[in-house]
Amino acid sequence: MANLALDMITTSAILFIVASGLMIILGVMKLINFAHGAFLTVGGYAAYLTTEAGLSPWLAPLLAVAAGFGAGIIVERIIVRPLYHRPLDAILATWGLGIIIGQLITLGFGREVQFAASPMTGTLDLGGVEYSAYRLTLTAFAIAIGAALTALLYLTRFGLNARAVIMNETLARGVGIDSARVRSLTFGLGAGLACGAGALITPLLSVDPNMGLPWLVNSFMLVLVSGVSIPSLAVASLILGSAQVAVSTYVSPIIGGLTIVVLAAVLLRLYPKGLGRGM
Amino acid sequence: MMLRPLTIAAIAAALLAAPTAAQETIKIGIPVGLSGANSVVAPSVVQSSEFAAKEINEAGGILGKQIELVVADDNSGAQGAQRAFESLVYEEKVDVLISMETSAARNAGLPIVNRGRTPYIYTSFYEGRSCSPWMYINAWVPEQQVAPIVDHFMSEYEAKSYFLIGSDYAFGRGMLEFTRAYVESKGGEVLGEEYLPMDGSDWTAIISQLKASGADALITSTAGGAPNVTLTKQLRAAGVDLPYGNLAVDEGTAKSMGGDATGIYIAASYVTGIDSAENKAFLEGMAAMFGDDLITPNDLSVPQYEAIYAYKAAVEMAGATDAQGVIDTLDDVSVTGPRGTITMNAQRHAALTMYLGQVQADGTVNVIQSFENVDPGEQCPQFAN
Repeated sequence: MANLALDMITTSAILFIVASGLMIILGVMKLINFAHGAFLTVGGYAAYLTTEAGLSPWLAPLLAVAAGFGAGIIVERIIVRPLYHRPLDAILATWGLGIIIGQLITLGFGREVQFAASPMTGTLDLGGVEYSAYRLTLTAFAIAIGAALTALLYLTRFGLNARAVIMNETLARGVGIDSARVRSLTFGLGAGLACGAGALITPLLSVDPNMGLPWLVNSFMLVLVSGVSIPSLAVASLILGSAQVAVSTYVSPIIGGLTIVVLAAVLLRLYPKGLGRGM
Repeated sequence: MMLRPLTIAAIAAALLAAPTAAQETIKIGIPVGLSGANSVVAPSVVQSSEFAAKEINEAGGILGKQIELVVADDNSGAQGAQRAFESLVYEEKVDVLISMETSAARNAGLPIVNRGRTPYIYTSFYEGRSCSPWMYINAWVPEQQVAPIVDHFMSEYEAKSYFLIGSDYAFGRGMLEFTRAYVESKGGEVLGEEYLPMDGSDWTAIISQLKASGADALITSTAGGAPNVTLTKQLRAAGVDLPYGNLAVDEGTAKSMGGDATGIYIAASYVTGIDSAENKAFLEGMAAMFGDDLITPNDLSVPQYEAIYAYKAAVEMAGATDAQGVIDTLDDVSVTGPRGTITMNAQRHAALTMYLGQVQADGTVNVIQSFENVDPGEQCPQFAN
């Protein structure tokens, strides 16, 4: 039973880490970033390259965040910004960007599975229950990411500007907030979070050009259910992640894989605007 | 409608070109999973095919004709295989198909092989009992592979209870169904048998069930590549250190997985450490041809290499490449290759020498025991000799 609870909590934590970058971009830019899965994949390859270079695997998430942030700023300037006033086209553009990134990775690294070193192995003893140390570490990372994002939004000038843009972009511009800069930094932040998440989940997965794809679908569902708010993303992750583990355990792992998508559809029927009410 | 003149021209060109082209070379079609689940092993299969073709061509070809390889990506699955087989059989008009593929891809390709009446040598180990008048198989089936692992677990670890984990497809289920029957026939007990879809990567719930079951030993049969890697990584992260038999890992994959693969038991018809002149010559030739790009030859790429020689021997014995003649002689020819002397005369399958090995910390496979000429058992009784 304790093990089941830990499975639920850690699975939810992983979902939260993976979906946070997508939610930040949706909040500020009103844009579902369909290149999110590709950014996760880039993070996985960043972990692979870190290992190849002989660096500590602990550096991988940091390097991935830095690379993702830089790439995000550039992508925002070249691809997303010209489409500000055509939101549907912008979504399509991110979809295309995801395909391009996937193909570039295939060209550069081939289609085969790559291996990245794990930063830690083994289990921790939690009062009689042996549990994967890395999954527990990921849970700590999820809490840290949630806290850091909250602090960023509520304790910094950038956060104040970002919240203003989220609430009413026209008004924010009217009082002199440079909303273009906010959008640019936000896209960088979202891409950085996605790449960092890719590097963080790599020790539990294989690195290949399609590794991000299943996570894109789950993140998308999570963000739709949660709406734009960090606590509600945490709640949505807990509900959907726990449901997936419960169905996998008690019904069948094959049906477990469908749980998030099906349950998200049901939740959206009951709460069409998502669980959250804005940041 | 715009295309019609072009189509006619293409058909005319094909009709005119086909007879002359067939005289010049022998085309070997290789549908293989360059992308998808088989992408880890597929490049090694392409390499061993290229090596066989180079050797044969340098020695004068088959009946004086040079070999031409046509490689097609089957995406490791049914849809991709349909496209790959259609294109190889009907557009490329290959003389033979020789390929290592997933069972899903093979099953999707077989109807096309039967319709196109093209000889097909399947070179991947698989779940057994796939029969077609046009197909031969020179790799192992569960009867040959599962027994060494289970017998070893029972004698060495006194393992009575087993937990089985696999990918949800023909090979995964077929292997584990056989394993369950074999374990039960030996007086053991199967505590759980769980599957994840082939593209699934989250084994959390299954691993928790494994730990809760208290099983003595674990046997897995996933798709090669990504599912094998994610399962092994997550098992190790969860601290599972039971005797672990993996029915789908090869030496090369084990090597690149690093420490996570340490201790895994495998049973194979080929390991690089086989001490024979043929194996040494093969390994040296491969190293000379591919240098730093060489992917470790393995239990999937070596049968592929030998199958090309089996086809050569059959064509030479039949005296022509006509499909029926080749099919009639394939079970009469023996090929001595890196795995020893192999004849596909056991209901379209072959008796094989099997090696039980354990992956060491440095990624090499330590052979614990070998089993001579293990019979594949009842596979395709309609083709019994």
